[in-house]
Formats: sequence, structure tokens, C-alpha cells
Amino acid sequence: MTKNFEKINDSLIKRQKSEKNFKLFGLIGIICAISFLIIILTSIIIEGKKAFVSTYIKLDVFFDSKIIDPDNTKEDSVIKSANFNEIITKSILENFPEVTDRKEKIKLSTFISSSAEDELIKLIILDKALIDQKKELWLLASSTIDVIHKNPDMLNFPEDERLIDDKELKWFQWFLSEEKIKFSANKNFFSNADSTEPEQAGIWGAFVGSFLTLFVTLILSFPIAVAAGVFLEELAPKNKFTDFIEVNINNLAAVPSIIFGLLGLAIFLNVMHLPRSAPIVGGMVLALMTLPTIIIATRASLRAVPPSIREAAIGLGATKFQTVTHHVLPLSMPGISTGTIIGMSQALGESAPLLMIGMVAFIVDSPGSIFDSATVLPVQIYLWKSTAARGFVELTAAGVMVLLSFLVLMNAIAVYVRYKFEKKW
Amino acid sequence: MQKNKIEAKKVSVFYNDKKALNEITLSIPEKKVTSLIGPSGCGKSTFLRCINRMNDTIEGCSMTGRILIDNKDINEKSLDPVLLRARVGMVFQKPNPFPKSIFENVAYGPKIHGLTQSSDELNELVEESLKKAGLFSEIKDRIHEPGTSLSGGQQQRLCIARAISISPEIILMDEPCSALDPIATAKIEELIDELAHNFTIVIVTHSMQQAARVSKQTAFFHMGNLIEVGKTDSIFSNPSEKKTQDYITGKIG
Repeated sequence: MTKNFEKINDSLIKRQKSEKNFKLFGLIGIICAISFLIIILTSIIIEGKKAFVSTYIKLDVFFDSKIIDPDNTKEDSVIKSANFNEIITKSILENFPEVTDRKEKIKLSTFISSSAEDELIKLIILDKALIDQKKELWLLASSTIDVIHKNPDMLNFPEDERLIDDKELKWFQWFLSEEKIKFSANKNFFSNADSTEPEQAGIWGAFVGSFLTLFVTLILSFPIAVAAGVFLEELAPKNKFTDFIEVNINNLAAVPSIIFGLLGLAIFLNVMHLPRSAPIVGGMVLALMTLPTIIIATRASLRAVPPSIREAAIGLGATKFQTVTHHVLPLSMPGISTGTIIGMSQALGESAPLLMIGMVAFIVDSPGSIFDSATVLPVQIYLWKSTAARGFVELTAAGVMVLLSFLVLMNAIAVYVRYKFEKKW
Repeated sequence: MQKNKIEAKKVSVFYNDKKALNEITLSIPEKKVTSLIGPSGCGKSTFLRCINRMNDTIEGCSMTGRILIDNKDINEKSLDPVLLRARVGMVFQKPNPFPKSIFENVAYGPKIHGLTQSSDELNELVEESLKKAGLFSEIKDRIHEPGTSLSGGQQQRLCIARAISISPEIILMDEPCSALDPIATAKIEELIDELAHNFTIVIVTHSMQQAARVSKQTAFFHMGNLIEVGKTDSIFSNPSEKKTQDYITGKIG
């Protein structure tokens, strides 16, 4: 007995040591994962939060009737075609009487975003009494000024590395010192679609595109996948053929998503002639990709329902179909919906297959229906990232933040659904 | 003369190639309790599940021979097993109420078979079934609470109420007390006595005492064979087969 005791004691030290090592490795792994996550998130947030404000410049705008409406028609169409650029240029030049050179005048006028013209037109159409009046207004600055304003350390760069030359810098600093430049909420980001001008570009178009695409994906994949899962798990006979199908569904889940994009291109666009770049096609492609995920989740949660429930129903004289629809399916719904939401969030983050069907187009209007041209969040991020203008750097990070928030929201719903509807038996 | 409700003729059951039951021939009298006893794996549950064709749901399970209920073959092609199971109720080893309210549990059978015309009628039927199962007085205030919130014994009586709600002619019970404590067991046994006035009951049990207490007829199974069947009193006091004697005296099992 004592001999055994010593042997066991010796081996125990070894066993406990390996357990300790294992724990240590696990801990290191988790610390690594968390620190990478923190690094990624902070860098995105530091860069992205700048995109939520934009720079505005204060100008005394004189709505000269000679430019806007020389014949005093007060017609909207006349106002809309008036040269508001001239009005803005004049208002800005008022601050710098020393500038006379034409080129310099143009440079100064580009301090203000081209979208400011539309703002002024709206203003005048709403209140025609403003004509021939002077009004103090905060106008959206151009992206170059916005970038300089957001990154003050750029002011110290040598001229050729800066986005603006020495003269422009002087003017910019004048605005600063006069407190005629400020940050304010970036309304364009949450209300506009893409634009060539960073200060006018927004995520809303891509957001609507993603929403419509996911809507199509859900409508198509959920019913088909649940029906397929129920059929395979509960109703189909177990034979070589169903085994073959099962293996292939598992393989399908591992197929690279770009392949589904190629399939969509070949079938949905070239054979079925569905509209290019439209959420309907994007949704169909993503539905193909999501199907195996939901089928696998459905089968797993059906299998988790105890057989005693099935026996109880069958024993009472319920048909197989009644047993499934009345008892088994409701009990597995939490698992199925969790799987569905996870599949949906995969689809939300997917860009490769959508590139294949043309959802990478530059689209300036938010899509109104599933047949309109659209882009989606990850593709929009990709588009912005690959654009040269400096102003898109912040937009890219902000786009990532929107995408991640959307994902976190969906996963939170998944957790809630599971927690809320899980039944004990 | 005693009328036989169920007649099994040379019933053999195979799981794939493995023979689980070997040519069982057994008659079960109407409105009496028949118990099936025997050691684990002797085929008594398999035989029970043949009577309402529950084995149909098991992949690879096949049966030969004939089982007659009221002289009609239950394996006839024209007979839908759903119809058979409405006539032959079943109570399982582990209480398995649906994760729904007590009311929903009992009302489910009548609902799917369309037995009642109005909700009043349904309420009445549910109440009556719960009363017959001896559960109503205990739970009448919480009839809309989940069935799974009841104690084990109450759950099993709920399952019995659920089974009798569609007025079957036969009730099969597969070790209904094996998961219950002695007090709950006593209540179920009392209930079985009560139910035997109206139903033909076949009960599988591990407990010889239980078989002796509740049943009029006992059949002893061993290794897939029916060794002996007879009046419960004579089986326990004066078995004719040596194996039966060995089992009831605890030498095998």
C-alpha cells in the first residue's frame, strides 16, 4: 500500500504540472486574443470617430439678386439654375480683399464644399425674403480643409507633404484665429450614399443596400433551410442517398464564398437576366451561401430535442408531421434562430461573392427597392479604402465601425433569442 | 368465459439481424391488468411496443407473426398506425409531459383527433381525464402552469391523464414507476387498479412485488422467449417452469 502511495504521489506531481502548463497556454492565448482585439478596436475608433464630425466655415453670405434672380421672377427653376458658386466665392473673398489673382481666388473658393451650393438653393427656395439680404451661415468645408482641421500636426509638415500650400495655410490659420471654423456633427455620413467628395459621402446607401440584401437572403434561405433540415432529420429515410446529401451539405458550408458569386454571375445574371448590382441577386447569392449553415443548425437543434417528446406525441396518435410541427420544431426554434442569425451575420460581412455580381458599382443614390442598383457595407468599405483621396481614410474606419455595430447588434439578438425562448424539459 | 382483447401469435421481432423476440404467443384478457416481467433485455418492452406499433419508428426494426386486437390484425396494410395508437394508449418509463401547460398536455390528444366540438366540451374532457388520473384535486388551481413544474409522480399521472383523454381501449405502460419514489408508486398502482375497470392494461415492470400487487395475469420473459404465462397468484406461488422459479426467488435476473 505504501509503495502504491509513493508511486501515485510521484505521478501526481507530473500530472499536476501538465495541467498547470495547459492552463498557462490557455491564458496566454486568451490574453493575446484580447489584446489584438483591443488594438484593432482602438485604432478603428480613433480613426473612425473623426468621420462623425465635419468642418464648417462661417461666412457672411450676401444673396445678390443680380446673380440669383436678375429678372425678379421668384421662380424656383430660375433660382435652381443660378450660379451659387459665385455667391460663395464672393462671400469668402470678402474676408481677403488682398487676393486678386484669379488662380488664388479659385483656390479660396475650394475651401467650401460644392454641396454648399445646394444648401443655399434650398435655403432660398424656402425663404425667398432672403434675396438681397446678408446672412451669417456655417457652410460645409471641403474635404481637404476638413482633413487639415482634423489633423493639426499636418500644419507643421513641409509644403510639398501637406495637402495645402503656404498661402492656403495662411488663410486656414486666419479662419482659425477668427474662430470662423468649427466642428459639427456630420449629417451627410448617416444620410447620404457614396460620393466622389469625401465630405459628402455617406454610409446610408450601403446600409440600406445591406438591409435589403439581407432581407432577401433571410426570406429565401430560412424557409428552404428549415424545410430541408426537418426533412433530412425527421422525415427522410436513413439510406446511402441521404448520407450522400448530408456529406455534401457539410462540404457546401466550406465552399469559398467567391464560388457562390461566380455561380450567381453565371446563373442569375447570364441565364436568368436579373438586374446587375441589385440586392435581389446579392440576396440570392448570399442565400445559397447561408443555406448550409442554417440546415446544419436546424439539424443539430432538432437532434437536441429529447426522443421522449417525439414518443409522447407519436404514442398519442399524432402523425409524424404533427409531431414535428407541434412539438419538435417549436422546441428547436431557439437553436434554429440562433443559427440563422449567425448565418445572417456571416452574410452581412461578405463582400467577395457580391463583387462578382456587380455590387461594387459606384452608387450615389440609396436603393429604393431590391431591384435598384446598390452596394453593401463591406463593399463600401472596400471601395473607400481603395480610393486615393485622404478624406476617405476616416470614412473607411467609420464604415467599419458601423458594420461592426450592426454585427454586434445581430449577435446580441441571437444571444437574447436563445436566452429568452429556451425551454426546459 | 374470459374475453381476450389482444392475441399475439408467433410474434418475432428483429433489430436488423438480431432477434429480440422469439415466437411469442400470448393472450391478454379484456379489462384486466397483465404484467410482463423478466430481467433487463428480455424483450418485454419490445413486445409491449409491438402492440401499438411504436417499433415502426425505430430504424431497422421488423416484426413477423400476427397481433390481433378484437380479432383484427394490427399490422394489416389498410390499418393506419395513427388510428391504432389512438386506440392503444401508452405511458412511458420516464414521465414525458410536453413542455406546455398541464391543460395543453391533456387537451393535445382530443385536439389533434378532433374529439370535441367546443372549448367547453374540451375543458370538461380535460377535467374529467385529470380526475380519472387522480390528479385534478392536487392541481386544479394551476392547470395553466407548465406540466414540467409538477413532481415526478404527478408528471406520470399527467401522462396517464393525457393517455386516457382520447379514451383508448388499451393502455400500455412501460415501467411507469421505475423513476418514482415508493409513495408516488403506490398512488400509480392504486390508479392502475381503478383504471382496470374500464381499460385493458398491459404493464411492463421490473418489480415482482408490483406485478403481484396490480395484475391478474403475469407473463415471464427471458432472453426473448416467453417462458411462462398464467394467473399472477399461481405464477408467484407455484411456477411450473424452473426459470420462472429461479427468477422470482432471485437466482437469475
